[in-house]
Amino acid sequence: MLDWLRFILTTGFLISGLIILLTSVIGLYKFDYVLNRMHAAAMGDTLGILFCLIGLTISAPDIWVALKLLLIIAFLWFASPVSSHLIARLEVTINPHWQQLPPKENAGEEEAP
Amino acid sequence: MSKRRSDWESRPQARFRKWYKEGFLALDNEIIDHLTRTTELPENIEDRLIAQQEEMTSRQHERTLALERLDQYNMLAWARTRGRKAISRLYVILALALGAMMIFFLLETVALMPRFGDPATPGANIVSERYITKGLEETGATNIVAGMILDYRAFDTLGESTVLFIAASAVLILLRIDRNKDGSPVQELIAAESDDRHYEPRNDRILQGSAMILTPIIFLYGIYIILNGHLSPGGGFSGGAIISAGLILYLDAFGFDKAGRFFTYKTFTWVSFFSLSFYALAKAYSFYCGANNLPSGIPLGTPGAILSGGLIMPLNIAVGMVVACTMYIFYALFRKGGL
Repeated sequence: MLDWLRFILTTGFLISGLIILLTSVIGLYKFDYVLNRMHAAAMGDTLGILFCLIGLTISAPDIWVALKLLLIIAFLWFASPVSSHLIARLEVTINPHWQQLPPKENAGEEEAP
Repeated sequence: MSKRRSDWESRPQARFRKWYKEGFLALDNEIIDHLTRTTELPENIEDRLIAQQEEMTSRQHERTLALERLDQYNMLAWARTRGRKAISRLYVILALALGAMMIFFLLETVALMPRFGDPATPGANIVSERYITKGLEETGATNIVAGMILDYRAFDTLGESTVLFIAASAVLILLRIDRNKDGSPVQELIAAESDDRHYEPRNDRILQGSAMILTPIIFLYGIYIILNGHLSPGGGFSGGAIISAGLILYLDAFGFDKAGRFFTYKTFTWVSFFSLSFYALAKAYSFYCGANNLPSGIPLGTPGAILSGGLIMPLNIAVGMVVACTMYIFYALFRKGGL
């Protein structure tokens, strides 16, 4: 019974994490603008990986493995938002028109150059 | 009827065809545009020629010019429309063919590979059998890979460390910007320093705060991997890479001024020199003893303890220091041309 519960929880967490990662990958390729793409990538890096690692933590055979996985979660939650913040700050620094909507010329170029 | 049609259009096959054909729609429009333009242009010119006879010569000149331009346009028309269409079709087909070929060859290779753990493979010969059966006894290392690369094949690892050191030296020669004889910076160095992080956030509080927390942890983890290299997976190369990642994070957060307080050219030179010479001397001693059947006097210790494995742990430390210094100096040189 407990094994089954563990299996179901693990599968649920892993699948939801993978769905979030897939969403973030699609967003990364669909969006045009840096900040939108950064948002999509950061979502996968934090929430998707959090769900995947929680699933692995539940299925861990050993308490020490589970603690190590929790440490990895803590590390990723430190590192990934900081890198997203740096990308966003770089974009805001170098692009004076970042508050306007991005120009549509990229979409037109691909269809009829 | 319309429902059936929309049903058909929502099928994956039809959607794939639509996606495949949509890319050429713009090119089709361009071809139509081009064909209509060619019929109109000379007719207009001829109408005007009939109406205004007195300006015949100038019009004639204009007409020849226009026809010349038209000829040029027609000459390039194939490349502009149909040729491009053919090439984009060719790209799609070639990409698909290449992808299919790669998949086929990879699957074929996987199918031809021997079963995992098969005793009849060429790799499973007397050498690997000796590593597996006698490795723990002869090297004292629980991690069989560490026993292999730092004991049986230590000469190879010395070569790898030397290659790293030579690469760092070559990059240093190529990219380092020297100062003048009297110590004043040359123009190139001033330009590089002003160009370094011209746009990037210079003193980011968030990055500095997280680097203050993360850098010691990364260092500790790298040191753990190096020191535990003979007991668990890891070793000098991976631990050194982790330590250099911590160094690079510190440099990114706090800049060259603060990082230069503990890491200069002198540090790099002496750390690399001592690590490589220690490695070479220790292994020379060990090889000499081994070749002449002399007792080396290095205790192997109990397998599994932290102080065991003979020379493997000191050699791991040496390799790790060389790798960390090399990667850090690569980053610094490619970014600013100096430390």
